[in-house]
Amino acid sequence: MPEVLLSARQVARRFGRRVVLEPIDLDLAEGEVVALGGPNGAGKSTLIAILAGALAPSGGDVAAAEPTRVGWMPQQPALYRRLTPRENLELFACLADLGDPDAAVGRALEAVGLAEEERRAAELSVGNVQRLNLAIGLLGEPDVLLLDEPTASLDVAQRQRLWRLVDGLRAAGGAVLFATHSLDEARRTADRLLVLQDGRAVYAGPPGDYREEST
Amino acid sequence: MRRVVLLLRKDIRTLGRMPALALALVAYPLVIALVVGLVVRYAGERPHVALVDEQGALSGLLVVGERRFDVERRLEEATEVDLVRMSRTQAERDLETGRVVAALVVPPDFITKLRGLRESPTLVLRTTRGGLGTRVVEKMRSLVYSTNLELQQAYIDANLAAVDLLLHGGSGTIGRTPFTLLGIQRARAQLRALERSRDPPVAARARELDTFMSQLQGAVGQVGSFLRATANPIELRQEEHGGRTWLLSAQVQGYALALAVAFVTVLLGAGALVAEREENVLGRLARGLAGLGQLVVEKVVYVALVGTALGLVLAVVFGIIVEFGDVSGGEPWLRLPLLLAGLVLAAVAFGAFGVMIGALAREAATASVVAFLVALPLMLLALVPAGSIAAAEWIGALFPFGHAQAALSAALYDEQPAGTIVREGAWLVGLGLAYGSAARVAARRMLG
Repeated sequence: MPEVLLSARQVARRFGRRVVLEPIDLDLAEGEVVALGGPNGAGKSTLIAILAGALAPSGGDVAAAEPTRVGWMPQQPALYRRLTPRENLELFACLADLGDPDAAVGRALEAVGLAEEERRAAELSVGNVQRLNLAIGLLGEPDVLLLDEPTASLDVAQRQRLWRLVDGLRAAGGAVLFATHSLDEARRTADRLLVLQDGRAVYAGPPGDYREEST
Repeated sequence: MRRVVLLLRKDIRTLGRMPALALALVAYPLVIALVVGLVVRYAGERPHVALVDEQGALSGLLVVGERRFDVERRLEEATEVDLVRMSRTQAERDLETGRVVAALVVPPDFITKLRGLRESPTLVLRTTRGGLGTRVVEKMRSLVYSTNLELQQAYIDANLAAVDLLLHGGSGTIGRTPFTLLGIQRARAQLRALERSRDPPVAARARELDTFMSQLQGAVGQVGSFLRATANPIELRQEEHGGRTWLLSAQVQGYALALAVAFVTVLLGAGALVAEREENVLGRLARGLAGLGQLVVEKVVYVALVGTALGLVLAVVFGIIVEFGDVSGGEPWLRLPLLLAGLVLAAVAFGAFGVMIGALAREAATASVVAFLVALPLMLLALVPAGSIAAAEWIGALFPFGHAQAALSAALYDEQPAGTIVREGAWLVGLGLAYGSAARVAARRMLG
């Protein structure tokens, strides 16, 4: 039985009176890739941010098995645009107190193919900014990777690079949760699919069994 | 602490990559400091006062002894206020609309009474209620006092001339009537001649009269000193000292420094925390990389560093001008360490205020506008003269500007600045902590 690396129990979130996420349970186990689907405003980004610890839930708990490291790539790039990719990564590596920040930065840059990039983030293309956004999430070699619409701005080659990375993490016993609007991506890559609508889980199961009309 | 330092290094590096902003941060306060320096130096020095003299009662010369007075001209050339001649109706309208802060009404018999010397003529000063009214009353009192003093001096001189005539004799006039006076000295000379008379009763009476005249001479001789002493029990003599009192009087330096630091730190502070939100990194930092408290502290320190550096540059520029520009302005180099302490405290308090505004506003554009809109009137409140409007003082006390200005001015030129710096420094620390705490609470909303 694979160990659960990250577990959410009855997590919910409201902004003022507006409920954006109804209480929901979710487990991410070793070697598992889970796709998170649903229309815009369904609560996907909120759920991922809560799982990442970037947003406090209004109710429920998130627990990670020790010593699980969680990486997060938000939908909107979260980085300093006046710093170069290396400077961004160095800063976040030092803030995260990684043992060997230089090595961690080198690995993350290599993983997304930005090792040679010396321009500031503000001067990069949208796709390259997204790659840097992913690289920051990869710092510290996470066991669980939470990706919020990771392929939205990537070209075909970079998408393939991303899925290779996801496959590698799965093979190494890690877990990946990614939000997507593409059912094809989910069917190709994920072991499980969770679909949200209006903040509620409306489907949870194998991606191949999901039919949009079923929700 | 390590995380605060890491973020601080990032912010300083980022600022270095925004040359336009860095330039504006230096240039804008300098321009503002110069303008406000001028305003502080000259504003309110000559308030506009309506002069209502519908009968032309001020016209005509007043002759006192050898001197002639043109009271009308004296008032028109007054340095205390700017007297603007107008009708009574116009004066009342301008007083209501605030174009003039007071109206000076001249009675029709002004010069007549002044010439008659039996009754003092009365000028009526009409003011509005409030601080400016009080200020113009002080200015007008000063003007009337100085005019009285000049007239008094002329009357004393005329009286002394009469005393001199009494002592030494000679010709004079009363009104237009000429007269000749023997004088005490010459009277005594004639009495001494009579003392040598061969008629003993005549000689004895002459000696008796001479003794009296001698006593009279002594007493009249003292009149001049008594007149001057009773007219001016305390005299004030003005002596010019040092160089020109140009823009950079120490007080103006204090205002300019406080203003420059306030503008830079409040605006930069308002944008600093918001910038993290707009870079979308608050969520990342919240994942155990840097707490909101650490982030608020880092922003306050960052803004305070920039503000202090700017203040120091300004102080050095002022120092160079004072040193080489023949300008009086305190002891710029000796007081630099003390000034540095004042600048740090001021920058921290202003920075915390700015960060709080940013945390409340949550958006860069809103934060900048709100910071400007809130800070400007609060800074101007500190320019309201002490003791004039109590409410302004209370509100001003809750904003760091007045305290910063007082601390910086004391650091620059007070003979014993420690007391003021400690008192105002305590205010600045207290306000900094209060605003910082409020910023920390408000920052929680930024994560949502």
